[in-house]
Amino acid sequence: MNSLLEQFLSEARDVLQGIGDKLMQLENAPDDAGLMTELFRLVHTLKGNSGLFDFPEMTRVLHAGEDLMDAVRNGRVAYSRILADRLLEAMDFVGLLCEEIEAGQGETARHAAASVHLVKGLRELIASDEPAESSPPAAAASVAELAEDFPDLALDRLPEAARMDAYRRACAGASLHWLVYRPSEQCFYQGDDPFFQVRQTPDLLWGGIEARDPWPPLAELDAYCCLLDFCLLTAAPRAALEEQYRYVADQVTFTPVSRFALVLPQGDTNGGPVYDDFATDARNLLAAGDLAGLARNAGTMLELSSPDLWIASALRWLRLVLESEPDNRAVLGALVESLNSLTTPDWRAAGWVERGETHHADAAIAHSPSQVATASSKPAQPDQASAAADQPSADDGFRSALPILPSDAAAALTAIVATQREILALSDQPVWLSGRISAAAAALSGCLRAAGAADALPELDAAVARALAEERGDALLAWLDDWFPLDGLADAGLKANIPVQPAMPVTPTDTQPAPAPATQPEPDSELKFGRRAEDAIAGPKSLKVDQAKIDRLMNLIGEMVVAKNALPYLAGRAEAVFGVRELSRDIKGHYAVINRIAEEMQDAIMQVRMMPVSFVFQRFPRLVRDISRKLGKEVNLVLEGEDTEADKNIIEALADPLMHIVRNSLDHGIESPEVRRAAGKPATGTLTISAAQESDRVLIEIRDDGKGIDPGVIKRKAYAKGLIDETLLERISDQEAVNLVFAAGFSTAEQVSDLSGRGVGMDVVRNAVEKVNGTVSLTSECGRGTRLRLSLPLSMAVTNVMIVVSDGQRFGVPMDSVVETVRVRRAAIRTIKRSLTTVLRGRIVPLKSINDLLGLDAAPQVNGDDELAVLVVRLGDESVGLLVDDFRETQDIILKPMTGVLGGLSAYAGSALMGDGSVLMVLNVKEMLS
Amino acid sequence: MTIEFKRNLAVLRDMVTVEEAEGLLEWLQKKPTAKVDLGACVHLHAANLQVLMAAKPVIQVWPADAALRLWLESALTI
Repeated sequence: MNSLLEQFLSEARDVLQGIGDKLMQLENAPDDAGLMTELFRLVHTLKGNSGLFDFPEMTRVLHAGEDLMDAVRNGRVAYSRILADRLLEAMDFVGLLCEEIEAGQGETARHAAASVHLVKGLRELIASDEPAESSPPAAAASVAELAEDFPDLALDRLPEAARMDAYRRACAGASLHWLVYRPSEQCFYQGDDPFFQVRQTPDLLWGGIEARDPWPPLAELDAYCCLLDFCLLTAAPRAALEEQYRYVADQVTFTPVSRFALVLPQGDTNGGPVYDDFATDARNLLAAGDLAGLARNAGTMLELSSPDLWIASALRWLRLVLESEPDNRAVLGALVESLNSLTTPDWRAAGWVERGETHHADAAIAHSPSQVATASSKPAQPDQASAAADQPSADDGFRSALPILPSDAAAALTAIVATQREILALSDQPVWLSGRISAAAAALSGCLRAAGAADALPELDAAVARALAEERGDALLAWLDDWFPLDGLADAGLKANIPVQPAMPVTPTDTQPAPAPATQPEPDSELKFGRRAEDAIAGPKSLKVDQAKIDRLMNLIGEMVVAKNALPYLAGRAEAVFGVRELSRDIKGHYAVINRIAEEMQDAIMQVRMMPVSFVFQRFPRLVRDISRKLGKEVNLVLEGEDTEADKNIIEALADPLMHIVRNSLDHGIESPEVRRAAGKPATGTLTISAAQESDRVLIEIRDDGKGIDPGVIKRKAYAKGLIDETLLERISDQEAVNLVFAAGFSTAEQVSDLSGRGVGMDVVRNAVEKVNGTVSLTSECGRGTRLRLSLPLSMAVTNVMIVVSDGQRFGVPMDSVVETVRVRRAAIRTIKRSLTTVLRGRIVPLKSINDLLGLDAAPQVNGDDELAVLVVRLGDESVGLLVDDFRETQDIILKPMTGVLGGLSAYAGSALMGDGSVLMVLNVKEMLS
Repeated sequence: MTIEFKRNLAVLRDMVTVEEAEGLLEWLQKKPTAKVDLGACVHLHAANLQVLMAAKPVIQVWPADAALRLWLESALTI
């Protein structure tokens, strides 16, 4: 990813956020012209920037958004909620594209259809309010509808050979699409060359160009106003077509084409031999399943009919269908019937229509019978038929050998024959000569059979026998010259080639993308840059820095702190080991200086990592709006203390829990307007999210004035789910009951909605908050509302731990869980049910030995006064005493989480490097005791 | 220049770009009986194509490029 794109993506995120905010504000103040201008400016900026890159889908949507905003700004379209919805939807789409691009999925072409849909939605809003001005966008938008109303694909325009070829491709599994490309009139100014574009279409089978309107007099023609329409039949998969036309997706319609829609016999319906017998025979043969007989009959009929006749065309189709899908009796039957009646088969009436898309084909089929019907009223022309019958006897041997060949088969045959000719003309005399002649003979007889000229086989066999006897290829060559005259062959090759040519992809497109789209942004790029200069109001004062760089800086500072902490040890050694007291004092003095600087550095880097909670809060206006509209509730969101700052990791960890809480409040807390009015409350509910800093913690409070939580309901639910037993049900206080919502698997909602109620809500919230050393508390007053308080540390980088010693090892215990350190006389420790307890300030405190918990095989040591060291820690609402050997100092450490195999040891929160180079294991008290 | 205007014949060569369309149109407006030689033409921009379609000059030489010839024959001989 280049740096320009990176910058664009990062800017796009900001701008999208800005657009969302402005739309929210406009919701409250729809007439604020300043806001509207600002919004337009944002959309405009984003569109301009996106034009620098190869994301036509994004640019198209933004362009439509910009046009809409421009219309709103100029008062042509009124601001409405639908407008806001559509714009938000469009911006979500752009955001999605940005994310995909960032994730390295640069391929945005598959979103072309979605983008066209969005553009249509946006343009409709402009169009509906100002019919007079809507012509260009409306034209673009209505193309798709046009095609739907008018599914006449006019497939009968295609030459039969092209249709037959397409039919064969479809039988081979290709999907056919009819593509109508109506370039916009201004497309030449955008650097498009529609003609080049269509010539590059993959797997093009046929293409036609026509004028959109009758040409004006030449003197009035504007060469640079595109008036051309293109129609194509292609066998390329849809995705490839969308890719090819991604820049002009709004000007192109694709219609899937059933292969049967192509089966349209054409030609003069008059004359020819008598068909009745044939039709009767054919019907009988078909009923008897004698397809070979049917093919033979059809071949004979074909030889008797002039190739220009309708009947000949129908017979060719019959043979093709027989060849490609002999099992499709319904189609064969329909074709035979149509031969009898001389009308194009009505595929729909035949009732075999197998694919949904054939409805497009109906119309194409439906309108050709009229031509046929009028033509058939002309008198018969028997002389034409006799001419046709004469034709095979003409001296053109090639043609007599190969009565009617589909064009591409003819081309293949030409190639095969030419190769055999080359082989036979070789003048060397290898020992395998006879094998060579036999191989050529086999190839040629195969050709004859495939071409339906089996009657020529005896002659070939004779020629082969002669050639083998002479041990020369000459006899066979002579036969070849006889049956496939060289000039006739070239002629036939050319003839065959002409109709086939469009079938071959003119040039493979995927290897060289059309240059026209690439140059698209150029013509007005200068303009855009000019406008960009105005857009930039003030140079940004802040730097955008990659988080990895900050993290590295932080790691370095952490190491610096560790290195600094080594100085007191050094001072101690200088004094104790080397006995240099003055040096020791100097080192300590210097240590004080370095310590101060290191602490300031640490503080500074913390400041860099600090982010305002608005980073999380900013998405709530949109969330609350969407959800409340979905639920039919009216909610007023109040945000307080948005500039409160906390460490980036904390803020990010906060995002999901907050989202859950807000959703819960909206879904379960705030009532619908009617219920609220009935309860004597204002119809509009209020949801307040506030943040504040309290010493080294951030407090976040989410408050709603909804119906609150009914402790009775919670108790019953919890009991029903087996979360509490009967005794607890009796004893539990209301406050405790309310806190049961944090229990895993608990759900209060009667019905599971798509918002909440699946029972994964509040326990997830609590876990997420506790992961960053935070706490959640909930208070609720039934009928008055609920209040959730999250308390989070400001920063996670530095952890203050108390160091304790047990069995000669040092362990760290995070200070936030330490309540007190006490020395308890051994006599004051009692055993209740085999567990140790003591009484501290009138409360019973259970005691656990840290050695037992960690599996150390040693008893707790007492000091000289027969006292045990007890570290009292908080565990939820209870206090537990940990029996250790001794207490040491508290220290700020940089806690490194355990990785690898050690990561599975939940008893440890992590490790830290001490000043003397030793490693301190920090205990996870909660995990250890639970 | 990929179009060479002779007395009554326009010879189009190689890739005829969009810029040429204006000149071609003016020339054809002046010479209603003009002929066009596309023999050496490989591709012509759609703007040129529509000028030719509207002016309907006599095509003296069809393009040697078979694919282009097919396209043009269907478009210019209606």
